[in-house]
Amino acid sequence: MKSIKVKDFFHEKKDDFSLSLLTDSKMVNKEIISEHINRPGLAFAGYFERFAYKQIQVLGETEISFLQSLKGEKLYDIIKEVLVYDIPCFIVTKGLSVPDQMKFLANELNIPIFISRLSTDKVFHLLNTYLREFFAPTKTIHGTLVDVFGVGILLTGKSGIGKSECALDLVERGMKLITDDVVKMIVKDDVVIGSSNNNYGYFMEVRGIGLIDVAKMFGIQAVCSSKRIDVQVELMPWKDNMDYERIGLTDNYVNIFDMKIPIIYLPVSPGKNISAIIEVVAMNFMLKSYGYDAPKEFAKKIQEEIQKKSK
Amino acid sequence: MLRKKIKIINELGMHARPATMIVKVATKYRSDFKIIKDDSEINGKSIMGVMTLAAEYGSILELIADGVDEEFLLEEISQLFVDKFGEE
Repeated sequence: MKSIKVKDFFHEKKDDFSLSLLTDSKMVNKEIISEHINRPGLAFAGYFERFAYKQIQVLGETEISFLQSLKGEKLYDIIKEVLVYDIPCFIVTKGLSVPDQMKFLANELNIPIFISRLSTDKVFHLLNTYLREFFAPTKTIHGTLVDVFGVGILLTGKSGIGKSECALDLVERGMKLITDDVVKMIVKDDVVIGSSNNNYGYFMEVRGIGLIDVAKMFGIQAVCSSKRIDVQVELMPWKDNMDYERIGLTDNYVNIFDMKIPIIYLPVSPGKNISAIIEVVAMNFMLKSYGYDAPKEFAKKIQEEIQKKSK
Repeated sequence: MLRKKIKIINELGMHARPATMIVKVATKYRSDFKIIKDDSEINGKSIMGVMTLAAEYGSILELIADGVDEEFLLEEISQLFVDKFGEE
């Protein structure tokens, strides 16, 4: 199971969230294991059923003003009841100040409290995005990801079939390379995003030459760091008896993280200009998403003609 | 070379799906395959050709196969027509 150390979260995000640490800096090795966020208002009010203590706890104006309305021993008891749970951390928004008892208890019980100067809304939004991205399922596959007219095309197929060469050809035609050879996929807001699995840059192996640097060679406009995967194109050697799509009335899909991605099985044979076909795939995808489906239109015309003759 | 006349007996005629079936069967064979309807002659292995015939119910097509496996090609294609392309 994935987890983020609270320490790492703080060091990585303190500027984005404008966070400061209120409690002692002997940062405990607490871990965040949930992508959800909780507001512990009800817990402070004494209701502990379904208290999601494993989540990051966000305290906004409501919670803080409730705590400030309490005094002395009662306040101490209430806070203690909540803080005995193994909470990863608290984030107090709007730079609000926390009752001294809470700070004291948090130090005693090793629960970090962060103060953010941002509004509760903003903290929620940023935190949500960050956690969702962190906990999103990822997967790497062997392939090449290119952006063709804004359409993300994942080229797959056996080693040596010509994925890199095809990508290179597309880059020469003004398209963008996202990554070659290994594509890291992640789900974000119901779309599959592909990117490189490393930060070394845009290197690519071309058989017979070796490694080249695409960004250096073709310029920064030829590359892009991540891209939604719209279509997968599987390049395969031409086989005489293979059942290739002829009209395109039926669509094939692959499942990536339970998301349906259209897939095209593209036979490759010598002398065939694959990159021109990939551009066609991209344009056809755009036409389809704008509601124009060429095979359907054509089939409709034929049907109308048949009906006319049948009368 | 073998020739055979065949009537379309499925009510919808030779629309996109039957056309695909014909082409898929025909491309399995090595023989050349042509279809003639009225005054147009098309290559039976070309999807655009077969579809644009827009052959309606009751019309008659002439199938022409030429090659080593012409018999089998015609037989399998004819069966598609007889089976009404799996419709109804």
